[in-house]
Amino acid sequence: MSAGNWLGSLLARIRVGRHRMQDLNRELELHLELEAEEQREAGVPAEESRYAARRALGNAALIAEDVRAVWSMGWWDGMIRDLRYGARTFRKNPGFTTVAALTLALGIGANTAIFSVVESVLLRPLPFTEEHQLVRIYSTKDGVPLTPNGSGVNGGPSTMDMRDFAQSNHTFQQMAVYDTWRKNVSFAGRQGEPQQMWVGLVPGAYFRILGVKPVMGRLFTERESYTGKYYVAAISAQLWRNQFGADPAILGRTIRINDEPYSIVAVMPDVIPEWMEGQPIQIWTPFGFADSRGDVWTETGREGRGWHSLGRMKPGASLQQAQADLATIAAGLAATHPVDRGIGVALETLSETRAHDLRPLLLLLMGAVSLILLIACANLANLLLARNSGRERELAMRAALGANKARFVRQLLAEMLLLSLIGGGLGLLLAEVGVAALTRIHPAGLPQLSSLGLNWRVLMFTLAVSLLTTLLFGLVPALTGTRLNLVEKLKLGSRTTTSGSGAQRMRRALVITEMAMSLMLLIGAGLLVQSMLHLQRQRLGIRQDHLLVGHFYLPGVRYPDSGAITRFCDGFGEKVRALPGVVEASVTTIYPPTYNWTQMLTIEGRPATRVQDVPTARFGVTDAHYLTTMGIPLIRGRDFNESDSLDSSPVALVSQELVRRYFPDKDPIGRRVHIGPPVFMQLPPGTDIMDSSDVTIVGVIGDLRNAGLTSAPEPQILVLYSQHPLVNYGFKDIVIRTTSNPHAIIPQVTRQLHALDADMPFAQVRTMDEVVELETGSQRFTTALLALFAAVGVLLAAVGIYGVVSFLVAQRRQELAVRMALGATRAAALWLVLKQGLAMAAAGAAIGLLGAWTTQKFIRGILFGISPLDPVTFLGGAAFLLAVAAIATAIPGSGVMRLDPAQALRQE
Amino acid sequence: MPTIMAAKNSKTDLLQGTLDMLILRTLLFGPAHGHQIAKHIQRTTDDVLQVEHGSLYPALHRMERKGWIAAKWELSRERNREFKYYRLTPAGRRQLSHEESRWKQVAAAVARVMGPAGEGEI
Repeated sequence: MSAGNWLGSLLARIRVGRHRMQDLNRELELHLELEAEEQREAGVPAEESRYAARRALGNAALIAEDVRAVWSMGWWDGMIRDLRYGARTFRKNPGFTTVAALTLALGIGANTAIFSVVESVLLRPLPFTEEHQLVRIYSTKDGVPLTPNGSGVNGGPSTMDMRDFAQSNHTFQQMAVYDTWRKNVSFAGRQGEPQQMWVGLVPGAYFRILGVKPVMGRLFTERESYTGKYYVAAISAQLWRNQFGADPAILGRTIRINDEPYSIVAVMPDVIPEWMEGQPIQIWTPFGFADSRGDVWTETGREGRGWHSLGRMKPGASLQQAQADLATIAAGLAATHPVDRGIGVALETLSETRAHDLRPLLLLLMGAVSLILLIACANLANLLLARNSGRERELAMRAALGANKARFVRQLLAEMLLLSLIGGGLGLLLAEVGVAALTRIHPAGLPQLSSLGLNWRVLMFTLAVSLLTTLLFGLVPALTGTRLNLVEKLKLGSRTTTSGSGAQRMRRALVITEMAMSLMLLIGAGLLVQSMLHLQRQRLGIRQDHLLVGHFYLPGVRYPDSGAITRFCDGFGEKVRALPGVVEASVTTIYPPTYNWTQMLTIEGRPATRVQDVPTARFGVTDAHYLTTMGIPLIRGRDFNESDSLDSSPVALVSQELVRRYFPDKDPIGRRVHIGPPVFMQLPPGTDIMDSSDVTIVGVIGDLRNAGLTSAPEPQILVLYSQHPLVNYGFKDIVIRTTSNPHAIIPQVTRQLHALDADMPFAQVRTMDEVVELETGSQRFTTALLALFAAVGVLLAAVGIYGVVSFLVAQRRQELAVRMALGATRAAALWLVLKQGLAMAAAGAAIGLLGAWTTQKFIRGILFGISPLDPVTFLGGAAFLLAVAAIATAIPGSGVMRLDPAQALRQE
Repeated sequence: MPTIMAAKNSKTDLLQGTLDMLILRTLLFGPAHGHQIAKHIQRTTDDVLQVEHGSLYPALHRMERKGWIAAKWELSRERNREFKYYRLTPAGRRQLSHEESRWKQVAAAVARVMGPAGEGEI
């Protein structure tokens, strides 16, 4: 009977009880009446007939009692009794109870913890109304999403394409283009350092699409949203509380963003989750401020892709319909506008974007904890089998005295229920601790985990898992145990050797299963650890050690032109290079391993004629100290030098990959390259960012990783910011090579920056090692967890094999004693026992290898630099497991060495 | 502890199984209320098997719960008042044939033991 059924019928019975008893009374009343009538007809006097009827009926109270037992609480009473009895037997066997409960708790705890991750990343509904209508819209080029580096957030269509989508579609209520920028923010009334914060540049429609209403104030108007002239801002409720003490008169107060005052017009509730924008956003200003040149809503803007996008579909519209709808419009745009050639559109629901690259990791972890649970359950089943075989005599005796099987099964059911409650409770505690730990160690790259917690969905899961596993794994062996053959059991029971061969086979099968599963975990963990090492040892193309990077931003108000920016950056670089402990420093926009600024190139003498043939390269803007600071080798030609200036002809360095791809058979040195789209794309005049500035290649440098750790380096071109005023933007990084620990230099660098501009925050200061660590955050997270699970799995399996071998040794005492008495050596006797343990381990290992081989597809996608079938890992894991099994077998096996044959035989 | 609930099977409690069989058998002729069932058993066994009426009701309820019989308050046409009528369900029919065959086995075994020349102590 399933637990649900059981509970249901129990409740029904309690409800129905009162009615039943009234029913019975009426029935008995009628019976007495009829009987009395009959007696009268047979000649009994009227007054006596009633007594006669009562006599014939018997004790009415007893009848009622019996009937009540049939219908209502009888079964429940019995169950309670059984639960009490179970609790008593558990108390009497603290060893068994502890091991069983802990085993169960480990399995349930691990599952609950991971399920809470799955719940928060995959299952929990988004905090928005009708969230299934919310989608992100991405541009594709030749069918491949433009999403840079799988970040999931940007990669949206251009403003003009989105405007056309919004006007011509049939499936959307509303669409919005927006962006998030890092800006220097200071709060009025607070003296001191401005902070770098992420600011959302959004139209009012952004909030309307999400269905988020201001706590107070108003959304940006249409005019404010699209014209960068209205200095209004919305702040989060959290910021309102923390920075303004929840001032009720907050509206109309000002905050300074990049040195310009913005008037607060709204306080927004804290509902937009961090994962959605990849950053915690606490301030929003109108989207118009992202339109620095005022051309975003002109035809010029059609080329600029990579905005964030958001749309709300009409009620009833499906993602497929919306996709088809926009694809039709996109095809029309591609035919009309040259810059849209090859550009398509892809949709993803907002809830899908939450999981994006975490999904395979989570599935892997889910699989791993399921294995843990299965191992734990196998152990539990094993324990119960061992216990039941110890109890077989008791059970046989009870059966002989008239107890029946149903009664016995209920007893076991009660025990299992009790065990599952204890195990589940402990597991929940364990999960609570685990989740707290996960929340603490969760890498910065996984904002999805920030709202981790145990909620009712997780609790239901835990309850279901604990009941299901215990009942399944507790009752099945119990039922095989109740196939009692009385006579045989009683006969067998006269000796201490018990346990029919069926139960024995089952126990061995369970241990083999445990071994197989823990080997699968081991192999998975081994592969991930190696993949991790490969990733971290990935050559970046630079000298990674002793390198510090930091970000600063020069607001346009105080640094209005390229000259001012160049002066500041050169000055800052100079001052930092002069610091003791600094070997070299360079102001730049680029550092490995990921850099998304890509430009189209036109190579002199080799014009491209089709969009897909236009050469592209990652475009880095630096000063002359870049190569020496980063330790990038110069392969040919010359480095930048101080004589390259605004007045001299612009020069560039290109990477070997760029040469391989675009100068396969010519010397690139001295050749000229135009940076920007080719002429045939017919851009309106004045929109080409590089204008007339062609560059001359003066040097070839080694490749550096610029498309993420796991991707091969893309072509790279470096130019000097001093020579290109149009791309000399205010956002800059500084890279600093130090003689000792890079962290030690941070205060001095900050002081130098503030000496130049006291209001400029020095942000995102990290060593290069930390940058790489951050990039591998989710991988390390998964690796650490899987390694932990593998350890737990192996431990449980070791306990399992230990238990079975101990049991075997105890069982075979007499046999071994006889063998020894007849002249077998102790070593030979020991080998007899060890052989059995090792045979189980070997069988398990073989199955485990097969299992790992068949499940490789789950791990293939997240491995880097190692095959999912790596033979060394496979065999190494198997060898390790066999070693553990050998030790776990040898410990109880050594009991054989101390066996005194004479004594063992006398005990009989 | 209400022993009846221990789901006793016919092997451990022959008498109870017999009573069940008799009740089922009675209901084979059509729906009947408790008193009718008691009287019918009494009459058809020529008063040899004295069923204590009281033991009938727990048995009826137990079989109702097992789904062998179904109960419903219905108007009796003769007496113009409501009685609780029990009727056989398909499961009850199956149970009856099961009980009967078991009964026949037991009876045959007993007959073999007692031999053809039994003095008839029963």
